[in-house]
Amino acid sequence: MERNDIVIGMAGSGGDGVVSAGEILVSAGASEGVHAFMLKSFGPQIRGGESSCRVRLSGKQIQSHGDQVQVLGIFSWNDFKQFRGEMHLNDPVVIVMDSADKTSKDDIPIDEDIDRIIYEVPIAQLAKDKAGTLQAKNMVMLGVLSELFGLPDEGLRDAIRKKFKKKDQEVIDSNLKAMEAGATYVRDEIDKTDEVKFSFTPAEPKVLMEGNEAFAYGALYAGCRFSAGYPITPSSEIMEWMGRELPKYDGTMLQSEDELAAIGMVIGAAFAGKKAMTATSGAGISLMSEQIGLASMAELPLVIMNVQRTGPSTGIPTKTEQADLQQALYGTHGDANRVVIAPADVEDCFDVAVQAFYISEKYQIPVIVLSDQYLGQRKETFDQDALFQSDNGFMKTIKREVPTGEDLEDYKRFKFTESGVSPMAYPGIEKGMYQAAGLEHGEHGLPTSDVDMHAKMTEKRFRKNKVIAEELNFVRFYGPEDAEVGVIGWGSSKGAIKEAIQRLNDDGYPVSAAVPQILMPFPQEKLEKYLEPLNTVYVAEMSYSGQFYKYLKGFLRFGDRELKKYARSGAAPFDVSEIYNTVKQEFE
Amino acid sequence: MTETNVADKPKTQFKVKDYKSDTKPIWCPGCGDFGVLASLYQALAKLNLPSHEVAIISGIGCSSRLPGYVATYGFNAVHGRILPIATGVKMASPEITVIGTGGDGDGFSIGMGHVPHAARRNVDMTYIVMDNEIYGLTKGQLSPTAHVGDVTKTSAYGSIERPVEPVDLMINVGASFVARANAGDPKQMADLIVQAIQHKGFAFIDALSPCRTFRGIEQKKFINANTFKVEDHDHDPSDKRKALDIADSQEGISTGLLYVEERPPYDELYKDLRDRATQKPVPEIQDILQRYIP
Repeated sequence: MERNDIVIGMAGSGGDGVVSAGEILVSAGASEGVHAFMLKSFGPQIRGGESSCRVRLSGKQIQSHGDQVQVLGIFSWNDFKQFRGEMHLNDPVVIVMDSADKTSKDDIPIDEDIDRIIYEVPIAQLAKDKAGTLQAKNMVMLGVLSELFGLPDEGLRDAIRKKFKKKDQEVIDSNLKAMEAGATYVRDEIDKTDEVKFSFTPAEPKVLMEGNEAFAYGALYAGCRFSAGYPITPSSEIMEWMGRELPKYDGTMLQSEDELAAIGMVIGAAFAGKKAMTATSGAGISLMSEQIGLASMAELPLVIMNVQRTGPSTGIPTKTEQADLQQALYGTHGDANRVVIAPADVEDCFDVAVQAFYISEKYQIPVIVLSDQYLGQRKETFDQDALFQSDNGFMKTIKREVPTGEDLEDYKRFKFTESGVSPMAYPGIEKGMYQAAGLEHGEHGLPTSDVDMHAKMTEKRFRKNKVIAEELNFVRFYGPEDAEVGVIGWGSSKGAIKEAIQRLNDDGYPVSAAVPQILMPFPQEKLEKYLEPLNTVYVAEMSYSGQFYKYLKGFLRFGDRELKKYARSGAAPFDVSEIYNTVKQEFE
Repeated sequence: MTETNVADKPKTQFKVKDYKSDTKPIWCPGCGDFGVLASLYQALAKLNLPSHEVAIISGIGCSSRLPGYVATYGFNAVHGRILPIATGVKMASPEITVIGTGGDGDGFSIGMGHVPHAARRNVDMTYIVMDNEIYGLTKGQLSPTAHVGDVTKTSAYGSIERPVEPVDLMINVGASFVARANAGDPKQMADLIVQAIQHKGFAFIDALSPCRTFRGIEQKKFINANTFKVEDHDHDPSDKRKALDIADSQEGISTGLLYVEERPPYDELYKDLRDRATQKPVPEIQDILQRYIP
């Protein structure tokens, strides 16, 4: 059966080059204009250890890592075991395995109900014989997969050349030979009995990026010129990117001694007039909480990216979850106002970065961006003209309003205004001197413990939300407007939700979905309107306690509607079929 | 800001009153912090620094209220984070004179994690710790610089902890300018603040600032009776070993410039880094996208 959508999983030990094979595969896809998506997953070891990747290639626009794995490339079953829980297999599944692995057929660690077609290939042997090194095992695997399933082989050869372009020609040649050896083996020795065949029409090359890269790029584009951070998985790629790029554009990236210092430095830079940000995850965001409150109190514009990982505590640093929502919305003592936005895909990470700086600068407020490991560390394609099409060009030029002329005669840093936003001076501006403080203050910024002033200033800080909500209330809607069954999700779950809705609609089930991009201030009007035709609402999220579900209940009146919680702990992102099957039950 | 710059700006001569804000200090009568504040006004006037080009960052504590009393830019932040915030300000705006002011609890207890890092990076700033060996704002608890045996509200049976020695610590973690001064000697204090601000790099002043309320008049008397000036002892502040020796002198508490070293400050090193990063042609930001198209 010809298909234009294929999901390939691979597992092996670190030295097998599983992830690098996956990277070559998506890069090959992107260069031939195929939509590509790659998820990688590691065991806890620093180097070596087991690793896996899941690659999806498709002729049509894809929104997620897809569904069940149709093709499985195995270097070692022992390594695969680690990933059983996150690699759901199609029935039947086609397996390509190194015949060097002597696991008996009965002991193969996959669900016994699943039919399998197994091709054994002497992968290690071919690598040694044809390329002279076991390091080329992954190239042999790529050759086998490409020949068996019709993957873009010209793109693969290009991607191999590019990957090793800094090495000697000899290295490139031996890798190409290894790939060719895999393909030749299939032609000469294998009798193809499965029906998986990928077909695609070559098109203009696509951009291939990770969410963390897209966010960092968006921040630079938005004018961010100061970033401080402390390494933490899975957000470190952002500070690494900033460390390479910011100095080229007259900016600064500083690796701080801890997250307390990272947010402190960003606060200092914001106070001094720069567009500034930090990125963190897990424990890091907890450590930053206190100073997020400071930024809120001192009305400082800054952006905090939280690439969520599985928690609580150290949790599973290399895996995803959506359970930092409540902390993002409410974390820190006191009524500390902030804005929370959640990007939904890799391309969106760029846009959300631009928006985050726009909001923070225009409204002098800390903006928390909630990404996650699934979004931050996956590779995904998008069209070349996607990033600079929207109105982000205008957004990136926005800078905080500074006091001028009359304002400076008796400068009130925290002057009461209709919008709640007061012109903000920074060191270097004559007559703009004021004291920023974590203490409650009056309009001039001087400390106060006055009851009325605290009430007025708190109201002022929250007044901004009304204006922000009028300007930014983006919600993604999918499916028919008159559907009676709906799904609400947020952030990186968008991909699986959108595909599930499409599939349900294609199969004749009238279901719709809403995925808000901005979470605070709450897009009240749009979601209220969305609810109108619905009888049943599913709230889908990767949070065991249902943080989003509880949040929605605080804002929306569900009345007689049946409200159903599809909340589970994270570590593995939603599969499309998971959402599909859950919602489909409504119609049975 | 160097003296040459001051000479270049003959137009306005700022006076002490130009640096005073309208806010009256909340400090108790007899507090050493008054002396430090007066010396800071003197030093700013002497250097003739325009108020809008100075930023004073503080944390939490009695002494951290100081920025409110100076008519420059100020930031009375949260407990223990003076140094990261000051680092952020300096790196964002290297032309601004950055001064950190706080107490011994803020710097050497809750904020201790940042101390060695700001020092070893040699962030070009002045850090004045008003050291009273007690928690004043929270009304009399044990401080990390208090001595063994000190009875406070949280050490009812006398402290059993060895105190932090700020000067030793700072010399050892890489501060490039380390001084100690008596808040009761405003001339010495003002002179040292002037030198600290002029110093290119991380300048630390351990300001002995007695707390009348929780340490009584005895603390002030002890400081006055036991301090001596290193310049009277022919001290060479460029010699690290001698600096450590005189810091721990048996003859009493040494004051003055104890240690100084010439070393490029962080913002200058970062400028060099930027020069290295831009040796190859730098693409337009929109063109970075090309890197991601295979």
